[in-house]
Amino acid sequence: MKTQLTLTQKSAFKTFGFIGIMMLTLFAFNPIYGQTKTTTSAEVATNERTIKGLVSDEEKPLEGVNVIQKGTKTGTVTNEKGEFTFPKKLKTGDILLFSYLGYETQEVKIKDNTTFITLKLTADLVEMIGALDTAKPYKSKRKN
Amino acid sequence: MKSLVFILLFIVFQSHAQISDFNHIDFKKADSIALGCKDEGLDNLPQLTYQLTSSLDTDVERFRAIYRWVCNNVANDYNLYLKNKRKRERFKDDSIKFKTWSNNFRKTLFKTLLKDQRTICTGYAYLVKELAKLANLDCEIVQGYGRVSTTDIENLDLPNHSWNAIKLKNKWYLCDPTWASGIPDPETNRFTFQYNDGFFLANPELFAVNHFPEEAKWWLLDKEIPTFETFLASPIIYGKAYKNLSLHIAPKQMHHTIKKHENVAFEYKLIKTITPKDISLMIDNGFNNWKTKPQSVSVEDKSLILEHQFKTSGFYDVHLYIGDDLISTYTFSVEN
Repeated sequence: MKTQLTLTQKSAFKTFGFIGIMMLTLFAFNPIYGQTKTTTSAEVATNERTIKGLVSDEEKPLEGVNVIQKGTKTGTVTNEKGEFTFPKKLKTGDILLFSYLGYETQEVKIKDNTTFITLKLTADLVEMIGALDTAKPYKSKRKN
Repeated sequence: MKSLVFILLFIVFQSHAQISDFNHIDFKKADSIALGCKDEGLDNLPQLTYQLTSSLDTDVERFRAIYRWVCNNVANDYNLYLKNKRKRERFKDDSIKFKTWSNNFRKTLFKTLLKDQRTICTGYAYLVKELAKLANLDCEIVQGYGRVSTTDIENLDLPNHSWNAIKLKNKWYLCDPTWASGIPDPETNRFTFQYNDGFFLANPELFAVNHFPEEAKWWLLDKEIPTFETFLASPIIYGKAYKNLSLHIAPKQMHHTIKKHENVAFEYKLIKTITPKDISLMIDNGFNNWKTKPQSVSVEDKSLILEHQFKTSGFYDVHLYIGDDLISTYTFSVEN
């Protein structure tokens, strides 16, 4: 009887202990969230940083994708692994344009916490057709 | 009565979105920028757009520079065109094979466009659209049916052509970069660059004679939309028609059965005025062909009216020429 009681007590202690630790972790992480918020809102205007990224399509990394800051000539091209490092430091609110012939052009807005952009480009599913013009005069088909 | 018709025509002419809306703009600057970017490739579209458009002030000039660049720098790939045409016809009743072919072909086409700057219609229309989008212009690809003198209209059951619609000052306009860029040599079928300005913001009513869009909104006509049958029954007009005409008014049909000495009337609206001696008809009876003058030619400002009669029975292909430019073709079965 006594032993049984100790067992229940023990397990109850274990459960409470676990919940307690969980709660402690919550407290422990909370201040960090708070800190991030204050710093970002304070540093929005000046928070310039280097942006890196990886561009691919449905199957593989894409080489030769143009990455341009919208409205400027500043830009770079992805390497054979689909990676890029933007040559100019960017700030929150700047827009990057990703363009590659045959894929839909995409815009990515730099957010407060953006440092690495992983982007998948979608192929432009346009149906390819083509009739040529000609200066050949029309000729009726005649029976004889 | 004639003047009333003229006034009515004038109103119709005014209401369509076309190049004359921009008569006050000189495209020389846009054109020279486009020609100056001759050595640019397609590996960096944003930069190409920037170079083409950044020093131009109006949307229509920015679009013009893009359009002109594409027309002058992208060649038509006749072999790709033939290959695609063959496969599309072969797979048209097998939706899976058709789709697989289309998907693979699209990839090949983009590669060829990027590497060799060669393509077929949709490649032109696609490129114009993409560059325009990068310049913040509202541009769309229009898919549909295009009809030229060699089109086999009995088997025209799949869309075969693409062109563009562009929104300028809140109005949509039409243009056809593929047909504007050049034509294949009639002998060798080798593509030759030969820019034709007539396809830039052309009159939608003229466009409707040989362009049938899949989506009805791209007719841009304020009158009744043609049926596919009326479209196929229309006369054949050539690239040079776009250089000379803003409207093809009559006859509305390609094939005619008439009596000997019956009067046939032809009516057009010209882009710039001409003299009656510039007009001639080339008549072909299947054995011989000869150039002749219509019975009467009247040019009043930009209105051109012709009348002709056939004195002998027979079956004739009749080609209208303005100077050396082949404009249109009709057939006449002349009965006793």
